[in-house]
Amino acid sequence: MKLLVVEDDATTGTYIARGLREEGHAVDLVSDGKSGLIEATSGNYDVLVLDRMLPEVDGLTLLKTLRAAGNVTPTLLLTAMGDVEDRIEGLQAGADDYLAKPFVFGELSARVAALARRPQAQEAETVLRAQDLEMNLITRRVKRGGCEIDLLPREFALLEHLLRRKGRVQTRTMLLESVWDISFDPGTNVVETHISRLRAKVDKPFDSELIQTVRGAGYRVVA
Amino acid sequence: MPLRLAILLVALFAAVSLVSLVASYAFTQRSFEQSIRADLRQDLAGFRAAPNARAVALLVEAESREADPNRLILSYISPSGRIYGNGAIARDDEGFHIISLDPARSEFEGAYLSLTDTLHGGLITVARSRAEIRALGTVFLNILLLSLLPTVLIALGGGLVLARRSKRHVEVMSRALDRMTSGDLGARVQIGPRWSDDLREIGGKLNQMAGAQESATLALKQVSSDIAHDLKTPLQRVALYLDDLERHLPEEGETAELVQKSQTEVADMGQVFQALLQLARVEAGSPRERFAPVDLADMCYTMAEVFEPTATALGQSLTTRLEEVRPVEGDKALLGQMISNLIENALRHSPPGSDVILSLKEQEDGIRLTIADTGPGIPEDERDKVRKRLYRLDRSRNTPGNGLGLSLVDAIVTLHGATLTLQDNAPGLRAEVTFPR
Repeated sequence: MKLLVVEDDATTGTYIARGLREEGHAVDLVSDGKSGLIEATSGNYDVLVLDRMLPEVDGLTLLKTLRAAGNVTPTLLLTAMGDVEDRIEGLQAGADDYLAKPFVFGELSARVAALARRPQAQEAETVLRAQDLEMNLITRRVKRGGCEIDLLPREFALLEHLLRRKGRVQTRTMLLESVWDISFDPGTNVVETHISRLRAKVDKPFDSELIQTVRGAGYRVVA
Repeated sequence: MPLRLAILLVALFAAVSLVSLVASYAFTQRSFEQSIRADLRQDLAGFRAAPNARAVALLVEAESREADPNRLILSYISPSGRIYGNGAIARDDEGFHIISLDPARSEFEGAYLSLTDTLHGGLITVARSRAEIRALGTVFLNILLLSLLPTVLIALGGGLVLARRSKRHVEVMSRALDRMTSGDLGARVQIGPRWSDDLREIGGKLNQMAGAQESATLALKQVSSDIAHDLKTPLQRVALYLDDLERHLPEEGETAELVQKSQTEVADMGQVFQALLQLARVEAGSPRERFAPVDLADMCYTMAEVFEPTATALGQSLTTRLEEVRPVEGDKALLGQMISNLIENALRHSPPGSDVILSLKEQEDGIRLTIADTGPGIPEDERDKVRKRLYRLDRSRNTPGNGLGLSLVDAIVTLHGATLTLQDNAPGLRAEVTFPR
């Protein structure tokens, strides 16, 4: 993928760019809003990683300008603030996702990957599959290797979310946001608990790992 | 309010005028009566000057011929029983009457004041009409109708118009204030050209205040974002260095553990920072702009689920007693944060084996959200202090938490126009949040 990182702090910018390159992306890095705007409009990027506070042209202004010009490149907004209001301002300005500092690299990388391949037109699917597992969204039944698996509503939602994003890492906060609809960190291990309950039902009886833990990042369903 | 004042003033004016009118009527009437009585006594004294009954009879006959019976009635019953004069005293079942001796009329109309006395063996009666006193009553009634009543009506009408106008102006101000308190920082009072001077002044002052509030909020935003930027940039670098370090280390081992601990600390620092920032924003009241209906029961259910693993790990249980309630106008994320902080606080301070109860129900006074624990509780004199920023009870210093939890709860509760009470759960703490109807 071709990515543009606009970040004014040189250290942070370099680390992000290096990490993303190590994952196989082509990354351009600029450190002020003006060059960011020029690059973003001229280059054909898959994802934009944009710091909210930038010299020259502020990140939010940059984003609004881009959107007003019809540029819809998926954008991840990085922000130092991170309160509810700041988040809403960011999303209203046209950001597709939002990440508060300090973040770990795994979180950023997972969110960038999620943005690049946002589920499109997959809504019509009625059966989700991964290996020998089958989830029917109409009858709400889950089968693996022909055996019926009983899931509680939240477990079903969690598995559905992972199946829809098969192969892609979902971080703890991403799951909290999508499956539990919580936009702040309650500091509990509800995600870990549900993942382990889900594994006990989905993986353990079949002796093969469908739900993987990705160190320092999150979870994913093996493609 | 101004309307009520106007009506009150007019009523007071009318009452005072009426009382003084009635009083002067009573006074004038009394002095009229007194002068009539004096006249009557004088009349009698005149007849007393006559030497005998015969002379009295002649005098009465003479004077009554000239007197108008509508004004003056004279009567003398001689010792022999003959009646002289233009009237006579008669008695029937109803009492004494003065009857006319003129065959054309039997009785006199109207009221009379009379004086009767014995004179030379006979009975003399002098009666004077009270018509003048009656006329006086009419005069006073006319004064009342023609002067007082119009005055009262004019005053009332004028008062109503003025009061309505000032009420409209006050409403303009009140609407602007409502918008200001609901977070619209740009709201101002539109002062009209016909406003009274005092309302104009108040409106102007309100606008000044709103302006100051707006610039203070903007300044706060600027300062917060500057501080956020300056503090978070190095914190972000540390987080990335630690990430990098982690990748260069084997997954297990003492060093890896140290790195993980450091990562947790960095994340916690970020959290404390976020909480402070959130608190400042909530206290400034700006999130009120985007209030929407929130399903509290659903949110309580989710939060209970989210904290269930924590409760289990602490050897506690988390029980919910949730009723469906009508939606509350609010900020979903902040209300979630509030419930989360209350549950977290309850779990953190309760011993293993205890049960934390989360309940929600519709009460007379509004929707009541209760979180009750069986921990050590909070002494009564410290219950207000725990709402303050970074305040922690001495004995809870050894438990984790940054002391921001309850102050953020308090700020969120205030933002939503709800009330937070901290009570003794005997033992433990019972936190109640009430959203008024």
